[in-house]
Amino acid sequence: MRLLLIEDDVDAAEYVLRGLREAGFAVDHASDGRDGLFKATEVRYDLVIADRMLPYLDGLSLVSVLRHNGNQVPVLILSALGSVDDRVAGLKAGGDDYLTKPFSFAELLARIEARLRRSQTAPDGARLQVADLEMDLLSRRVERDGRAIDLTAKEFQLLEVLLRRAGQVVTRTMLLEAVWDFNFDPHTNVVDVHVSRLRRAVDRDFDRPLIHTVRGAGYMLRAG
Amino acid sequence: MPTWADRLLPASASRLAMLYGLLFAAGVAALIASVYLLTARVLERDVDNVIEAEFDGLRDDYVTGGLPALAATLERRSGSWGRNGAVYLLTDAAHQRLAGNLTAWPFATDPTESRVEFAIIAHEARRATTHPVRALLRPVDAGHQLLVGTDVTDRQHFLHSLRMASAWSVGLAALLAAALAYAYERRITARVGALAATCRQIMEGDLSRRLATHPGNDEFDRLATAVNSMLGRIEHQTRAVKATFDSAAHDLRAPLHRARMRLESRLADAHLSHEGRLEIESAVEDLDRVQDTLATLLQIAEAESGVAGGRSERLDFGALTAEVVTLYEPLAIESGLAIEACCEAAPVFGTRQLLAQLVANLLENGIKYVPRGGRLRVATTSDGQTVRLDVIDDGPGIATEFRERALTPFGRLDRDAAVPGSGLGLALVAAITRLHGGQLELADSAGGGLWVRCVLPVAPPAQRT
Repeated sequence: MRLLLIEDDVDAAEYVLRGLREAGFAVDHASDGRDGLFKATEVRYDLVIADRMLPYLDGLSLVSVLRHNGNQVPVLILSALGSVDDRVAGLKAGGDDYLTKPFSFAELLARIEARLRRSQTAPDGARLQVADLEMDLLSRRVERDGRAIDLTAKEFQLLEVLLRRAGQVVTRTMLLEAVWDFNFDPHTNVVDVHVSRLRRAVDRDFDRPLIHTVRGAGYMLRAG
Repeated sequence: MPTWADRLLPASASRLAMLYGLLFAAGVAALIASVYLLTARVLERDVDNVIEAEFDGLRDDYVTGGLPALAATLERRSGSWGRNGAVYLLTDAAHQRLAGNLTAWPFATDPTESRVEFAIIAHEARRATTHPVRALLRPVDAGHQLLVGTDVTDRQHFLHSLRMASAWSVGLAALLAAALAYAYERRITARVGALAATCRQIMEGDLSRRLATHPGNDEFDRLATAVNSMLGRIEHQTRAVKATFDSAAHDLRAPLHRARMRLESRLADAHLSHEGRLEIESAVEDLDRVQDTLATLLQIAEAESGVAGGRSERLDFGALTAEVVTLYEPLAIESGLAIEACCEAAPVFGTRQLLAQLVANLLENGIKYVPRGGRLRVATTSDGQTVRLDVIDDGPGIATEFRERALTPFGRLDRDAAVPGSGLGLALVAAITRLHGGQLELADSAGGGLWVRCVLPVAPPAQRT
């Protein structure tokens, strides 16, 4: 997996580069928009991480140019501008995801993984499964080890997101976006309360827990 | 004091156009009616003058030759009906015919005026036809009366044609007026509609749009030009303010970001002592709190300056509120609170994320301040003019004298010092409400708790396209 980081803040770039390389990615770095666009056009990257405010060519224009030229590489926009309008503008320009600085490295990594790794799709369009946990998307029923599990509508949606991204870290903000389509940062642990209720329903009566907390990052659904 | 024009102008374009159309048609009708009446008068006077002259001539015959001379003249003229439609009748006191081309006295009752009109039946070529006649009836001496008249069939025909022509003219004029009024109304409606549509797009956040102007430079173009120059100034100012916010956000967040990355990378160090790890983690938490406060402050500033909310859409505030309630309900239950939500459809024009944040902040406040066992009621309603969000709790409430302060940034109450929070929650709610053109009000609930009332303007009905 080869990534390109376009970031003019040398210090910040250095930490991100180191973290991504430690996570096993090959990462190139460009420190301005022009260089970034040149590299993104020359090399087939799996994902581009672009800061929004860059010398010579800003991040949004860079994405627009890429998209205009038919380049569909996934782009994650990093920005120190966090308002609702800025975010919408970023996604409208062709960005696939938008992350406001400062962010935790775990959040960045989870979002990169989410873009790179294909999510689990139901083979027949109707069922998702991890270990003995099965979700029927049509009848909206969930069973574990053959026993029906009763879930609220929101718990069902949460579990669906976790099932589709089974084996990947899903952060709290990603859950908030996927299930409620809210981008604001709740000052309380609202999402955790939802997950712990879901966990009670899914894991309590079974020996092997499926929903795991990833410290400092979020949640992961996996067998074992 | 509204003038006549002021009172007239608010009328819709179609009413104005119709009014002008009616005035135009009425003017044409009055003009044609007076032409008709004058023409009829002139024709009548002409006839009367001819008859009068003839009567005077016959009277001269009587004066010079007496009754026999008059009778002889009348006999000579007995064929005049066929030539020029002249009618004569000389009678005695008992209305018996003495001479003239009328066979009998034509009146059932004696006419009171000297100028008379009546119809005669003429027998020509074995066909009887009725002719209107206008005549002068005067005594020639004490026992005899002379009637001199003329056939006015042609005049009647002419007046009939004139009446028909007048009626057609008035009808066509009315039709033309209606067509003109319709065209004018369409034109005005189209121009106003185009201006309104552009204004709506500008309100939806596209500040770079301008109203269209035409080379004609009419009143609408002058209005559009004035609005455009105003928009230009607003856009310039908005850009300037936005640029200031952007640099502030960038300059404050970039160092926070570097510091956070630096601290996080230290956490990855396997040789880090347990105490060191705890210290770094708490430093990261502090940074996150600073970032959180900073983000909220920027949001308030952007909302207050009107820079935010550039991407508004029509949405159901009721459904959005219900969605936020589903997010907070488990947390409320965990905190020992009951949430009752009753969310009617409430169409507003706004930014989804900001309005969701507004509801979330109110619910977070309730969850934070209402003691266990309390109740949180959430309702949205719409009365067609405004939509309203009510969040009512039975917590400690806010005393009247502190309410204004509670809505300002960092306006926390001293008693809440122990409760974690930035003191920005309600300020942001107030700013988002103002940004959406609404009003926020704090009041007492029946149980002594807080009643937050957020009133927003209702969204106009969706445009038909």
